[in-house]
Amino acid sequence: MSSPRVTQRSVTSTVMRGLQANALRMQQIQEQLSSGRQVNRPSDSPVKTVEAMQFRGTLSRTEQYVRNAQDGLAVLGTVDSALSSGLEMVRRARDLTLTGMNGANGAQGREALAAEIDQLRESLIGVANTRYLDRPVFGGNTGGALAYSTPVAGDPAGAFVGDTGAALRTVAAGTQVEVNVTGPETFGDGTDSQLFDVLAGLSAALRGGPEVGGVTDLDDGLSKLDRATERIVAALGKVGARTNRVETLAAKAEDSLVTLTNSLAEVESIDLPKTIVELQMQEVAYQAALGATARVVQPSLLDFLR
Amino acid sequence: MSTFSGLNTGLSSLYASRRALELAGQNISNVNTEGYSRQRLDLQSVGGPVTSALHATYDGVGNGVMVAGVDRLRDMFLEARALTERGTAAGLAGDRVLLGRVEAVLAEPGDAGISRQLADFWDGWDDVANNPDSLAARSQLLERAQTLAEGLNGAVQALDAQYDASHQELAATVLDINAVAVGVADFNRAIVSATRAGLSPNDLLDKRDVLVQRLAEMAGATVKHGDAGSVDVFLGGTALVTGTTTCPLQVSGTGGTPPGSDAVAVVWAGAADASGPQAAVGGAAGSLLKGLNDVLPRYRAQLTDVAERVRTQVDAVHDAQAFDQQGAPGEHFFVITDGRLVVNVSDPARIAASASPGTDGTGDRGGTKAAQLAELSSAKGGADELYRRTVVALGVEAQAAGRRVEIQDDILAQVDAAREAESGVSLDEEMTNLLAFQKAYEGAARFISAIDQVLDTLINRTGVVGR
Repeated sequence: MSSPRVTQRSVTSTVMRGLQANALRMQQIQEQLSSGRQVNRPSDSPVKTVEAMQFRGTLSRTEQYVRNAQDGLAVLGTVDSALSSGLEMVRRARDLTLTGMNGANGAQGREALAAEIDQLRESLIGVANTRYLDRPVFGGNTGGALAYSTPVAGDPAGAFVGDTGAALRTVAAGTQVEVNVTGPETFGDGTDSQLFDVLAGLSAALRGGPEVGGVTDLDDGLSKLDRATERIVAALGKVGARTNRVETLAAKAEDSLVTLTNSLAEVESIDLPKTIVELQMQEVAYQAALGATARVVQPSLLDFLR
Repeated sequence: MSTFSGLNTGLSSLYASRRALELAGQNISNVNTEGYSRQRLDLQSVGGPVTSALHATYDGVGNGVMVAGVDRLRDMFLEARALTERGTAAGLAGDRVLLGRVEAVLAEPGDAGISRQLADFWDGWDDVANNPDSLAARSQLLERAQTLAEGLNGAVQALDAQYDASHQELAATVLDINAVAVGVADFNRAIVSATRAGLSPNDLLDKRDVLVQRLAEMAGATVKHGDAGSVDVFLGGTALVTGTTTCPLQVSGTGGTPPGSDAVAVVWAGAADASGPQAAVGGAAGSLLKGLNDVLPRYRAQLTDVAERVRTQVDAVHDAQAFDQQGAPGEHFFVITDGRLVVNVSDPARIAASASPGTDGTGDRGGTKAAQLAELSSAKGGADELYRRTVVALGVEAQAAGRRVEIQDDILAQVDAAREAESGVSLDEEMTNLLAFQKAYEGAARFISAIDQVLDTLINRTGVVGR
């Protein structure tokens, strides 16, 4: 729609339009620079907005996975050190039993051995009641404070009072890892050579007393003690394997944190040098527009009339 | 030809030049006046009688110049086009402003939006799963649930507040439309009387056209030109102004509870409800109407859907399926009361995190159910996905509205430029006119002195032989 006539107001409105467009563009770049983000509202780029939201969501989940894994590793570490020290004690009990089987010991000597085994048994029950954040780690998901009943006066106790629930940690999307081993799988259950029964039986056998905990004599007790030891070693192996798995997954989650942060920045953040250059270019364009305006609006026939 | 007719010829030229100079002055004075159309003097030469008659003494030279009228230079079709484009532009701009406000309510993407609150809420379940015994983790989860509920309810409330504001704006706009329509009718009356009396109604026409333009912006009105310079203004096919009478509009419907559940309409006055004869309003009022009946209720419904989805997702696991710290089955975690998402669990111990009630009455310290709830953040068709879909839909709609505004602005600028070219004042042109008519005035004056000298010769120097 071209027209031969050019009037004051048509020049003015064209000029104003151009200046407004320039100023608007300047404002947009300025907003990007001051917020540091190229997507400030969904309409800036719906696709980038939803990508940013998804990245943020995944980022938040992954951070939580790392936290879960660290918590799981702490539990596994507690279990591992408890089992290691337990294993030492069981080995000591085995040595004591072997000593007792040696015929050179008198009744007094055997009594001393039995007393030490009783001590070891009590310590091992303590180990079995190891807690992490106030929860017995071998007690499954029990609501009580103990996994094994503690010996009270006259009663050797050592019965399992927890449950066999699994403590799970989500360490990756859809991946849960057990971070505990239950009491029965570690220390055996009542039907076959439960560690604390075996120890009670050994101590009774050393004292020459009646059969306790299914232990008929020292030989029998020794073989049952060996089975209990194997179980603890197997549990240690399990804990090791799980620790390994959680560590691997945690490392992977931490790696993807870096990748996700980068992706989010790529989608959402401005390219600083590029934006600054754009701002400079826009400034130049704005000044050019202002200059052109000053020259176009200025002259009129008035200047040339006497 | 009479002796003195030459003087009269000169006088008519003096008059005409004076009018032309004054008109140039008027044009220059209004060079920046909104809606002013430049005026041009319509000059005609005065001839003698063209039919021969007894005693007619016409020598064929003519009797000077006369002002036949003052023309107002305006292209009626361009004006009509400009009205339509203006109405469309005002409507689109209204759409964009409203969608921009909805975007501001959601505050996405960023760390202040609802998506962040959702993520924090789901993560909170994992902290409970890690340590179901910890009062801190449980209290933190309740706080986060509270924040999420407040975020969703706050967004809905903000949309409701916007609904009220838009409704008030619509009512004010309709009042304004009625007042301006009355103004147009008044001008019509004045214009018709001026025209009938043979006066130039140009200034009145300019002022009336400014009002008509406002009607186009506010209501998307179109015009039809009537007799003696009056115009009729139409909304759709129905007349808002016919000559000197107007038919007022009114807003019908309050929107109901919750806002947006009932339709709001602009109806012709006298209609009792929204089902009455509705006025086909466009422009700003049309955009407000669209916001009230479509945009705001739609996004409100989507947000309440997200809240409802959060509630059902959590309840599907939490309610009766899971067991709390004492081994009792879980209750509703969230409830919806009066359309608001409310956290129903107040005691941290009542958060049900475990899959089993436990055996010995002291509860169970498993976190299976809590871990399951935490994983709901990425569930297919879950609240997060629903919310993201809402944000995308809003983004696309707002972006499209923005683009349409830009395009419409370009069209409007072109039409306006064409209008300005047609009816705008050019200072250069007026300067040239000033020069031309100044010279014409000087010429006419010189002509009069020439005639004067001729008459002087005739009257004072003739018949004085030998005096």
